[in-house]
Amino acid sequence: MGLTALFAEATVMTLGLALSSLALGLLMAITFSLAELSRFKPLALTTSTIVAVLRGLPEILVIFFVYFGSTHAIFLLTDEFVEVSPFLAGTIALSLIYSAYASQTLRGAFMAIPRGQTEAASALGISKVRCFFRITLPQSWRHALPGLGNQWLVLLKDTALVALIGVHDLLLQAKMTAASTYEPFTWYGIAALIYLAITLISQNILERMKLRSNRHLTSSQSKMETSTESAVTSSEATA
Amino acid sequence: MNMEYLPELLKGLGTTLELTLVSLLTGLVLAILFTIVLSLKVKALTWLVKLQILLFTGTPLLIQIFLIYYGPAQFDLIKDSVIWPLLSKPWFCAMLALALNSAAYSTLLFKGAIDAVPRSDWEACMALGMTHKQALLKVILPHAARRALPAYGNEIILVMKGSSLASTITLMDLMGYAARLNAQTYDTLTVFTMAGLIYLAMTGVLTLLIRFMEHKVLAFSRT
Repeated sequence: MGLTALFAEATVMTLGLALSSLALGLLMAITFSLAELSRFKPLALTTSTIVAVLRGLPEILVIFFVYFGSTHAIFLLTDEFVEVSPFLAGTIALSLIYSAYASQTLRGAFMAIPRGQTEAASALGISKVRCFFRITLPQSWRHALPGLGNQWLVLLKDTALVALIGVHDLLLQAKMTAASTYEPFTWYGIAALIYLAITLISQNILERMKLRSNRHLTSSQSKMETSTESAVTSSEATA
Repeated sequence: MNMEYLPELLKGLGTTLELTLVSLLTGLVLAILFTIVLSLKVKALTWLVKLQILLFTGTPLLIQIFLIYYGPAQFDLIKDSVIWPLLSKPWFCAMLALALNSAAYSTLLFKGAIDAVPRSDWEACMALGMTHKQALLKVILPHAARRALPAYGNEIILVMKGSSLASTITLMDLMGYAARLNAQTYDTLTVFTMAGLIYLAMTGVLTLLIRFMEHKVLAFSRT
């Protein structure tokens, strides 16, 4: 049968989709958050609107809009019927959703960096761009990590939605196996457990990354404190 | 923009609102029960609640809906039982999945809010001679509500957005009508834009309602 191989392949597809959406989403989130912090008001306002719209729409609608809408738009523009790859459409839609939430986290993280840091950099003659990449971004990482981590967990679960536009991911594999074996409970259950395992592993890695990002603050005596503190914030934020 | 789609889409609005409201209320009742179980450390039930939270926060909502809707058909025992008429209804299954999902997230939220009230608040109440009940109702819960309410507002919007997934198990809600109109007319951009605008309007109204509620409930914390 090779069902194990099929499920492994589908898991890889789910992970690949989630990771590529994460990469693209982070890039877009940085762009969005900088645009929102921009002094040029029309740009800031437009970006805020886009973010608010993305957050207010159901995820499934965004995915359908990107997938079916892009085909429709291409048809209107060129009069040709081009089928967009479901994987590409899924990645774009998921990264849009991710970036809408992540940009808010990043904006907060950037604002958490004291003004003095950028002022000191400009006093030292460091260019604005260099200052952003070498001074602001590395320092805000610590503040952004818990939020971005939780949004990654949400993204991971949202990837299940792309099965609806035909990406051969874990959920679609479960659906096909359930249909052919007449054992829906077993196969959807197995898919759910695989998602759960990925979530738990992600949580574990994120916890370690959080400890690592705070290591310069974690003296031996306050080690216990930060670990319990981060446990509290993580449970809060997932909620 | 073609306005003739609007009445067709609005047919699904009732289902969406009804589904959201019923799942939220069911989820809220469950979440309060779960929070009580966790706070009072009822031994046998604590691990059950923790398992429920783990399962429903760790897996996608769509799988939960599929599992509850398609899953039971595998077992003849359930098919022959009295609950089968309920479990074979898409509306009930979507409601159950959304309610259980919302209950899991809300429990985490409520428990976090209660745990965040400092111990010294309890001690201060005791020192002032308040009874346990007075302390809980007059001091601890209002302060916990202050922390939990804004986050619960998010949860309300998440459930509303999540209810759109019910369209995948043949329920004709707003998203269901949008998907059907899209398949019938191929006028994708218009149909989905209109559906999107309706969803945005709902999010907007809900956000305002939640703000208003916060304003009322948290009146005590303003100076």
